[in-house]
Amino acid sequence: MCAIIDSNSVHEVFGENRHQTGEKFFDWLCGKKGKGRLVVGGKLRGELHRGSQGFRGMAEELYASGKLRHISDEKVDAEMNKLDEQGLCNSDDSHIIALARVTGARLLYSNDKDLKDDFTNHNLINGPRGKVYSTRYMRNGNEVIKKYDRSAHGGLLKNPDMCCP
Amino acid sequence: MGFTTVNQITLKNFRCFRNEEGIRLAPLTLLVGENSTGKTSFLAMIRALWDVAYIKRDPDFKEDPYDLGSFSDIVHYRGSRDPLPIPTTFEAGLDIVPQFVTENNEQPKNLPRFNFKVVFEKRGAVSNLSQMRLSSGDVWGEYMSNKDGHWQARFGTKQGTWNANHRLIGKASSNDDAIWNFNYWLFSGPNTKEHISTEPIDPQGANSPDSSDWEKITKLFSNFSTLTHSPFHERAYASAPVRSKPHRTYDPARTIRDPEGDHIPMYLADMYLQDKGQWVALKKALEEFGQNSGLFDDITINYLGEHEGGPFQVYIRKHHLRKYEGNKKGIIKGPHRNLIDVGYGVSQALPIIMELLRPDASPIFLFQQPEVHLHPSAQAALGSLFCEIASTKRQLIIETHSDHLINRVRMDIRDRKKIQFTKTQLKPEDVSILFFERGDLDVKIHSLRIDDDGNILNAPQNYRSFFLEETKRSLGL
Repeated sequence: MCAIIDSNSVHEVFGENRHQTGEKFFDWLCGKKGKGRLVVGGKLRGELHRGSQGFRGMAEELYASGKLRHISDEKVDAEMNKLDEQGLCNSDDSHIIALARVTGARLLYSNDKDLKDDFTNHNLINGPRGKVYSTRYMRNGNEVIKKYDRSAHGGLLKNPDMCCP
Repeated sequence: MGFTTVNQITLKNFRCFRNEEGIRLAPLTLLVGENSTGKTSFLAMIRALWDVAYIKRDPDFKEDPYDLGSFSDIVHYRGSRDPLPIPTTFEAGLDIVPQFVTENNEQPKNLPRFNFKVVFEKRGAVSNLSQMRLSSGDVWGEYMSNKDGHWQARFGTKQGTWNANHRLIGKASSNDDAIWNFNYWLFSGPNTKEHISTEPIDPQGANSPDSSDWEKITKLFSNFSTLTHSPFHERAYASAPVRSKPHRTYDPARTIRDPEGDHIPMYLADMYLQDKGQWVALKKALEEFGQNSGLFDDITINYLGEHEGGPFQVYIRKHHLRKYEGNKKGIIKGPHRNLIDVGYGVSQALPIIMELLRPDASPIFLFQQPEVHLHPSAQAALGSLFCEIASTKRQLIIETHSDHLINRVRMDIRDRKKIQFTKTQLKPEDVSILFFERGDLDVKIHSLRIDDDGNILNAPQNYRSFFLEETKRSLGL
């Protein structure tokens, strides 16, 4: 199964004081029984490396283990330019939508509302549709951290339909 | 020009492999995994299969650099609680694919694929060849030893199966005779029909082969014979994990290939004296690798006597970059040093690179840890050299523990279109990474691929799990 991590959430997975939801995602990716894979490419590569020291430290080994796939920037940038020209994305993260379209990754770890809307927009990502693994939501104008939900979060990590082709 | 690639291997009841089918081999195959997971045994079986299929030679499981021991050491151990009886045979097979390249550098479609299988049985304490079988699709021919030690030829098609008695083939009194007989049978393919009497094996099948059966079996035999009788085929070069120690002075000796590379200094000295043109080309290729790896910049032979039969020394030289004022740089040539006076890595790597670069290089190489004693930069350079050689119709099967070597291969594949980085023309499908994973008593071989971007595909969960755990621990995650 392939996932994309947004740079605004990377510290929740690779940071030191991550909460349970981030830790479950980390185990899915890096644990002994972890079946997850990450895809990285285009602008996101630099964002992730700048965003988390833990990610920087793990990236090389994840790549060597086949758990992190680097996608060539040319492919991702070309798709991003196409999306930008068409003006289809509401968020300013067309590079992430482009990465999902190029790789077939359909699971996104993000807490960005606009990006979540784009990622689940079937006009942008389809066959299968994108799903979002998020850890925060807004209640009465305040951001609330979600607890790990075995059914919702765990279900996403077990879903085999979110693979790269 | 035609040549072949071995693109799959099957192992049954052999060492730690219970039944491993369809293991993908490529022009460049890297064997990885923990110690004692059967990587060397795997190489030993490839040499044995190559010896029977291409060299027409009875394989020796005790020949250097592999000593697999007696039959009981080689046959798969199932443990005392396994309900199945101890196997009385072990077997292995190769899928062989002809590689014809047209003038347009394209490969013709619908080329035949061959499976060549051998079975070994217990005879006294040793492993004895008892069956050779060639097949392609549903057409097959085999030569097998009966219980009384006599060899019997058989063949079959969709229509039926038949014992075959070839009037021109005598009884085999040894395995070498049997291999020769089988190959004579294959080689005489177009004339097979008139010299063979048949009797049906399967009562349900046809009583005797008809003209289409003869045509199919003749085609199978003659196609395979044409490919494997090519003078292009030599024995696989199998290197030992530790190569021989360098000497200050060498006396003239034989230049027969040796797993530890004892022949290398003499080979170099011989070429230096006998063929200046080839020596210049080989010296250039060796020095190019030496420079890329940082091992040496110059290699030469120093004869001590007045005539060719005298002792000689191998000298290498390393240049240095010196920076001057005003950002100027210049090369300072280092002194000529005897091979014994430089780092051990040079003499350990020399047999490997020499064998790869010599003009009469073997078509298939079986290397064990070619990276030993080399600095990571030289290990990476070795990865580039392997990619380069594997794209020139040589097949390399390499047991390695070097991440630097593997990573360089991945990067060279990814950057193959950027000439400033790599000279390889190897494509992702030309590389196979075989991960040997230990179970209880068995070892499972996982075939991993790499893609256009150098990513590892199909990695099982346990692939590099030790390294992941170490990295997590070091980062406190």
